[in-house]
Amino acid sequence: MRRFALQVFCVAISLFMAAPIYLITLAAFSSRESLNEFPLPLVPTDPSTETLSGFLSSTGVIAGGVNSLMVGLNTVVLALLIGLPAGYAVARYAFRGRQPYQLFLLLTRALPIVVLSVPLARIFLTTGLYDTTYAVTLLHTALALPTTVLITAAVFVAVSPEQEEAAQIFGASPVQAFVRIVMPQALPGIAAAAVFTFVMSWNEVLGAAILTLNQRTLPAQVLSTLSFSPLAYRFAGGFALVVPALLFIAIMRKYLLNMWGTTLK
Amino acid sequence: MTQRVNRRTLLGAGLTVLAAPALAACSGVSTSGTGGEGSVDFLSTQFLPVEERQRFEKILADHVKAAKVGFNPVDASVFATTVQSQVDANQVKISLLGGLHGDLAPHKDRLIDLDDLAKGLTDRQFPADLLELGKFGGSTQKYIPWMQATYVLAINKAALQWLPSGADPQNLTYEQLLAWAKAGRTGNGGKPIFGFPAGPKGLYHRFFQGFLLPSFTGGQITTFRSPEATTAWQYMKDLWAQTAPASTNYDFMQEPLERGEVMIGFDHVARLVNAPKPKPDDWLMVPAPKGPKGLGYMIVIGGLAIPKGAPEPDKAKEVIKSLTQANVQVEVLRANAFFPVAKADLPGDLSKPIALEAAAVKAQQGAQGTIVSLPPVGLGAKDGEVAQIFKNCFKEICLDGKPVQQVLDAQAVKLNAILDEVKVSCWKPDPLSTPCRVL
Repeated sequence: MRRFALQVFCVAISLFMAAPIYLITLAAFSSRESLNEFPLPLVPTDPSTETLSGFLSSTGVIAGGVNSLMVGLNTVVLALLIGLPAGYAVARYAFRGRQPYQLFLLLTRALPIVVLSVPLARIFLTTGLYDTTYAVTLLHTALALPTTVLITAAVFVAVSPEQEEAAQIFGASPVQAFVRIVMPQALPGIAAAAVFTFVMSWNEVLGAAILTLNQRTLPAQVLSTLSFSPLAYRFAGGFALVVPALLFIAIMRKYLLNMWGTTLK
Repeated sequence: MTQRVNRRTLLGAGLTVLAAPALAACSGVSTSGTGGEGSVDFLSTQFLPVEERQRFEKILADHVKAAKVGFNPVDASVFATTVQSQVDANQVKISLLGGLHGDLAPHKDRLIDLDDLAKGLTDRQFPADLLELGKFGGSTQKYIPWMQATYVLAINKAALQWLPSGADPQNLTYEQLLAWAKAGRTGNGGKPIFGFPAGPKGLYHRFFQGFLLPSFTGGQITTFRSPEATTAWQYMKDLWAQTAPASTNYDFMQEPLERGEVMIGFDHVARLVNAPKPKPDDWLMVPAPKGPKGLGYMIVIGGLAIPKGAPEPDKAKEVIKSLTQANVQVEVLRANAFFPVAKADLPGDLSKPIALEAAAVKAQQGAQGTIVSLPPVGLGAKDGEVAQIFKNCFKEICLDGKPVQQVLDAQAVKLNAILDEVKVSCWKPDPLSTPCRVL
């Protein structure tokens, strides 16, 4: 009986999550005219790829997607390269000012980008990085680092130091011990941090819009546009923005499940 | 088993790390179609919607031969930040700016003088007051007029059956509009037929600023809490009672009008143009109603400017020359429903919706006793705050049902606080006194 209730609960949650995505997909593949019908049918009656292909062929959407993908993946790599050692240090070593440091980390998220926009743009203009994906990558890395550090720190704490020490006793160097003993166990947390980072970068509009001109990321290119566009395009754009993020999460999913699998048992 | 999965994932992670430099080797892919040496980067607050952008890019490609133009439409806040940071850092990447008067006004000191260009464009025959606006009250030309627009009423002919006797749709008064909305609602089985764009992105504050209040009070700011303003808002309260309540979700009136949710709608011409598209013969476009002081209407003016330190100022000037040619101006009207500022004969083969609007705009300009108003001039970043004051009045008076005078007095204090900070002179239709304040 409890099992049944659990199943029902799971189905309900999934429906809750899937319904908007289904509706967006449905609307994205409907013709413009059929969107004016009332009430809107819940099954495809007049499938059409007209608005979606119109959206995808508009200037800069494909290029913006490529830029977004580059920025997203580079941000993940950069944030992990910097964030993993930091997270490890926060988890393993008691150093003076550890608590303030952890709090300080969150400060980058405390200031809204709107306040920083003009100085930020100026710095990137003078360094010559303005209007490149590097600029956006650096900004997104800075924004993602707090979550990366804090998530990975929480995971590293869960890996027992004894195992690491044991590995070193059996002849592993500290780096080997980290790569072969700690990393595999921390993988779910790292994956979670990667998902957060990627999705954050994929969704970030304002910073990307301020730091680029001709080489925008997809959200900077279309998000502000979409709110002023006809309904049909909003659905098409929404669909095009949701799918890649969903795909990335689907790929990372198995590592996440791994984490929940070990903690829920 | 676990070991194998881990090794594979580690391998994957390694590959990702290796792939990163390959991805990072490229600094980005152009999203504006240009970005190379010698191209003119055009930053604009206009033509953001996907289709408008595509149509304008086509006009640029077809008619602008002097340079390759990279068209970058952005919203007003990104526009402001970009112009400010680039000019102040002396690292300007943009050569051409296009925006409404209110978008360009805060940057007047960051724009180069265009007097030589304006002199060379006398054959465009811009109206003198539009050119004057482009000087921002100074002595030199800061922007060249680009295009203009206004707001009108769109009417589905099905609503004409409830038109009060003696009323002429082309020559409505506010009282008649109210009576019409009331009769229509009764005749339509209690379903309101009038709607206006009070949604989050709707331009309904312009209805108060440029239409309702000037028509009732003759002013916009100075008369903000005058007895006439109280009458105007009392009228608005009565009109709201007969308006589709879903109006608070409408951003672009063309959508509810096309769907048939409402039959009479007030909005910006560019936000009405799609309503008559499927069945143009079912629609009327008419001037805004008249009030006790006259027919108040607001004009929207777009201008083209060049920032100081622009990489390609000469090419940008050529682009401005092309965009102000009569035939290009007509193309913009055809494509995106913005009206010419240069003297241009409107061709007879305009599409039906555009022709409807063109007639309404002409009738509105030529009507007796017009009171022209401008969107707030020189408020810069405070423009949104002033707009919010009018939105607050609407919310408190019409939605929350608070007493009119009390709301106006309270909002007048806030409005004066903003105005005291910016210290600008009043703009039309208020007398040009400095500083502008609510009396």
